[in-house]
Amino acid sequence: MLIALIRNETLKILRRRRFAIVIGILAAILMLISYAQHRQLNENRNRNWRAELQQRVAGYQNALRRGRISDSWARTVRAEVTRLQFYIDHDIEPDKPTAPVVVRLVANVSGWLLPLLVAMLGSDIVSAEHAEGTDKLLLTRPVRRWKVLLSKLITLWMFATLTLLAAAILAWLVSIPILPRGGWNAPMFNGFRLSAGTVSVDQVRQLPLWHDALIAYGLQWFALLTVASISLMLSVIFRSSAAAIGTMLASLIGGSILTRVSPDWTAGKYLFVSALPLADYYSGSPPPYEGMSMTFCILLLAGWAAAATAVAFGLFTQRDVFG
Amino acid sequence: MRHSITGYSTLAPTLIASHLTKTIGKRVIVDDVSFELFPGEVFGFLGPNGAGKTTTIRMLVGLIEPTSGQVTICGHDLVKDFEAAMRCTGCIVENPDLYRFMTGRENLEHFARMLGVRDKEIERVAELVSLAHRLDQRVGTYSLGMRQRLGIAQALLGNPKLLILDEPANGLDPAGIREIRELLRNLAEERAMTVFVSSHLLAEIELMCDRVAIIHRGRILHTGAVRDLISNQRELELRVSDIARATAIANERSIVTRVANDRLLLAMEEEDAPPLLRALIEDGIDVFHVQRKVQTLEERFLEATGGETVG
Repeated sequence: MLIALIRNETLKILRRRRFAIVIGILAAILMLISYAQHRQLNENRNRNWRAELQQRVAGYQNALRRGRISDSWARTVRAEVTRLQFYIDHDIEPDKPTAPVVVRLVANVSGWLLPLLVAMLGSDIVSAEHAEGTDKLLLTRPVRRWKVLLSKLITLWMFATLTLLAAAILAWLVSIPILPRGGWNAPMFNGFRLSAGTVSVDQVRQLPLWHDALIAYGLQWFALLTVASISLMLSVIFRSSAAAIGTMLASLIGGSILTRVSPDWTAGKYLFVSALPLADYYSGSPPPYEGMSMTFCILLLAGWAAAATAVAFGLFTQRDVFG
Repeated sequence: MRHSITGYSTLAPTLIASHLTKTIGKRVIVDDVSFELFPGEVFGFLGPNGAGKTTTIRMLVGLIEPTSGQVTICGHDLVKDFEAAMRCTGCIVENPDLYRFMTGRENLEHFARMLGVRDKEIERVAELVSLAHRLDQRVGTYSLGMRQRLGIAQALLGNPKLLILDEPANGLDPAGIREIRELLRNLAEERAMTVFVSSHLLAEIELMCDRVAIIHRGRILHTGAVRDLISNQRELELRVSDIARATAIANERSIVTRVANDRLLLAMEEEDAPPLLRALIEDGIDVFHVQRKVQTLEERFLEATGGETVG
C-alpha cells in the first residue's frame, strides 16, 4: 500500500515539473562552476602556485598582525593560514582543477543551493494539495492520514537524494568536456581543528579524493534530509507554497546573517541553519560558534528533523480540512 | 418511523449520522444533525448558503471531526474504523477538484492505486460517465462539466455502497444534468447504491430524490419523502370578484381559507369544490378561475427556511 502511495507522490512531483526545474537550475550553475575551473586551469599553466600560496599566507598574516579584525574573523583567517601552510610544507598543489575536483567541490560550493532546491520541492508537497483542493479527495480514500503523509515524506527524502546525485552526475558531465578526467586518487587533506583559538594540524588526515568526496556527500545528504523534513513541516503548517518556501528561505538566509552579525550570541548554535553546512565544516571551514563538533552538528540536525516530523504528523492527522 | 416511501426501511442503513454537532469557538455551525440513509435511495440535502451543508458533508467523510456525534458507514464507525468506512464510500466534496496537471486517466489511476483497484475499473467508470474519449487529455483542458463527470467516475471506483455528491449538477448543461440524473437513479435502483446529493437546484432534487432533508442555520428543519412534501398540502386557488364575501361563504362551510396575491386559497379536495362554487355563483360572486394548486418543493423550502434564498 505504501509503495502505491509513493508511486502516486512521485508521479505528482514529476508531472508538476518541479524536479525538471531543479535539474535545470543545477545544470546552469554547474556549467558556470565548471567553466570557471576551466579558465583557472588555463591561467594556471604557467603559474608558480607555491609563490602564490606564500603570498596569500603573507597577506593574511599581515592582516592578523594589524589586529583590526574581529575575533571570530581572525579565527577563520588563522585556520586558512594553517591550511595553506600545510600545502606549502608538503609540496602539494591544492585544488588543481580536474573533473573529479569539480565533483568534490559541488558538495561544498552548493551548500546553500541544494537545501534551497530541496526546500522548493518540499514546500508545496502538502500545501499544493490544499491550494488545488485535491486534499479533499486524497483524505477521503480508505487510507489513514499518517500513511498519506509518510508517503509524502519518503518521496521527499527520495527526491532530496536524487537532487544530490543529480548534482554530482551533472558536475561530472559538464566538466569532462573541458577539464582533465583523472585525479580521483589525488590526496585531500582534512581534519584541521580549531581549538581555543588556534588551529592544530595534529589530526590532519590524507584521503584519496574519491573517499573524501564520499564523506562530504554523505554529510551533505544528511543535511538535505533534515531540510526535507523541515520543509514538509512548513508545508503542513502554512498550507500555502509561497509562505512555506518563503519561511525556509528566510531561515536559511537569516540564519547565516545572524551567525555573521552576532557570532557572540552562542545560542545561535542551536539553530538548524548553523549546523547545516556539515560538508563545509568537514572540509575545514570553521563552524561559526565554539563547541560545534561534528557530532554536535549531526545530533542537532537529527533533533530538528525529528521534531519537525513530529509536528507535521501531529498537525496533519488531527486537523480539520476546511475549504 | 417512516423512512422511505420505497419500502427500504427494512434494510440496514448505509449511513447513520447521529447528533452531529460542530462548534468553532462559540459559533455552532452544525447543530444536532441526524439522519439515516438506506440502500437504493437517492437522498437530497437542501439548504441555503452557510446553512452548514458543506460542513455536514465534510463530517460525513472524515475531513472534519465533529465536536460531538457520530457517523457510521456500512456499520463501521468513521473515527475508529476509518479505512473500512471509506472503502464503502465514494465522494465529491464541494468542487470536483482533481489534479489539473495530469490526464483524466492518470487521475483515475492515482485514486485506483489508493484503493488497490484494477485498471479495468478505470475503463468501466469512464464509460459510465461517458468520458472515455477524453481520458488521455490533461484535466486542465476539461470544462467544469467534464471535471464533474471525472469526479463522479473517481467516486465510483471500487464500487462503493455509498455515493456522496456535492452539487453534482454544477457546470453541466441540461442534457448532461439529465444524463447524470439517470445515471444516479440507475445506480440506486439497479445496484441498490445509496446516493446522497446536495443541491441548490430544487427542481433537480424534486426530479431525482426519494427523500430530502432541509437544513437551515445548522439544524435540520424537515426530513421526509419528496412526494409527501410536495403533495400533502392541497389547495384550490380561486380568482373571484369579491374575496371578502367569498371568504365568508367558505368559512360558513368550515373551510380554511387564506389570501395570497389577490387569490383566494381554500384547503379542500377537488371533489368538494362544485357545491361551494355553486353557492358562490348563487350569491352573485363572479368566478373567473379555479385551479388545483400543488405546492412545489421550492415553496415548501422557502416556507421552512423563512423565505431565505437557496444557494
